[in-house]
Amino acid sequence: MRIRAGISSALASAAILLVGWQAGTHVSDSNASAVTTSSSTGTIGGSSAGSAGTGTTSDATTGTSSGSSSGTTTGSGSSSSSGTGASAKAGASAKAGGTYTGTSVETRFGTVQVQVTVKGGVITDVTALHLTDEEQRSVQISNRAAPLLRSEVLSAQSANVQTIGGATITSDAYLTSLQAALDAANF
Amino acid sequence: MQPISDASSSAHSADRHDRTTAGSPHEPRLRSRTFASMGTVVSLAIPAALPESHVVEDALEAATAVVEQLFAELDRTFSLYRLDSEASAMARGELALRDASEDMRRLYVEASEWRTLTEGAFTAERPDGVVDLAGIVKAHAIREAGTSLRALGLKDWCLNAGGDVLVEGSPIPGTGHPWMAGIVDPADRAALLTAYPLASSAPAASTPSKSAKRALATSGTSERGEHIWTAGLRAGRGGGFSQVSVAAADIITADVLATAIMAGGPQTLDLASGRWDVDILAVKNDGGLLATPGFRSVASKAG
Repeated sequence: MRIRAGISSALASAAILLVGWQAGTHVSDSNASAVTTSSSTGTIGGSSAGSAGTGTTSDATTGTSSGSSSGTTTGSGSSSSSGTGASAKAGASAKAGGTYTGTSVETRFGTVQVQVTVKGGVITDVTALHLTDEEQRSVQISNRAAPLLRSEVLSAQSANVQTIGGATITSDAYLTSLQAALDAANF
Repeated sequence: MQPISDASSSAHSADRHDRTTAGSPHEPRLRSRTFASMGTVVSLAIPAALPESHVVEDALEAATAVVEQLFAELDRTFSLYRLDSEASAMARGELALRDASEDMRRLYVEASEWRTLTEGAFTAERPDGVVDLAGIVKAHAIREAGTSLRALGLKDWCLNAGGDVLVEGSPIPGTGHPWMAGIVDPADRAALLTAYPLASSAPAASTPSKSAKRALATSGTSERGEHIWTAGLRAGRGGGFSQVSVAAADIITADVLATAIMAGGPQTLDLASGRWDVDILAVKNDGGLLATPGFRSVASKAG
């Protein structure tokens, strides 16, 4: 039972950490300048997630989860259900640890699901499995620009295109541009 | 997603022989007209339907005339290259913003709002304080032209003003095929980096919350030099970009964000990808690429 409670509280705090991290990222982003509209949502989100976290752990031992937890104070309901899911495995593998997947948590930032790796009763890794883009806040993570290899896009060289986008082409440069060739071909 | 895979696979028929080859009905037949304005060249293309080619010609002539007139009018008001423009009078201090035309004031307000939204990365003023709406005027002209083309009843068209693109409908009417817009490689302007599908209707299923991207704008340093003011911003030569392309539902958002990311660097890139429903492809100064998932999935489909 102690392990169960421990893991579920760990999961709960992991979820809170994640949400808090989201809020934290956002706040640091918006700190860079004075004006922002959505930084306030980030801050509010962070605090409500924190308060949800305080009440969570006790639920976990009952094994019953109210998966239909609602609205913004969700962290508690869903993390407890993930605790029960994990505890079945935890009972078998005991202290050996393992990887546990939490259920999806509806937060004001969208759906969040985490995977926690436990070794010897210690969390060694927390991975975000699922971040929807229901709200702008989580899009910032899921829509983040990531490195792309040129070899991944090189095949577009031969793409059948109808128009060409590029940094502002001057009238002079137009004559040597690909767009000029396309326009000529379409004449 | 069906139209995208169709379009790209027909383009790569050399690699995949199971698809239709070039010259098939899948290859769009277009007619286009060009004219010079705002220091660049504007191109309007519409699908050419064979049986009624003279109708297409007439429609294209009329539409081009309307768009050309609109561009010329805005250029007369906003160009800092024309001594007799309203913008030039303001730059010389002869005309105050509050006494300016409604067009000028409205666009200034819009640009100022974008300055706030982009946290200063996009600005409507030069470092010397002169009101400079050059960063938004062309996009504004494209937007107005698009409204006119729709008002004319044209359902399928592609408008390209100096590398910024707005589309409606499809190059193959009625099929839902997207307009494929190639993106120039800033390191080799005769080559394309990739291609992006622009369409009036959102791609299905996999991205339900995404809106249709009808506009593509690209900002860079290679053609017009340092026309983006970086006052107060640490764009940074090291972390900066040589070219930024943004696809959005509307041309103003695409154009403003492309300009803002060029000026503001990676920090503004993160801000833009988080705050707006856009796809972004940024070419770093060292030649590396940064892409949001929208551009990544296009790349994987094309490859």
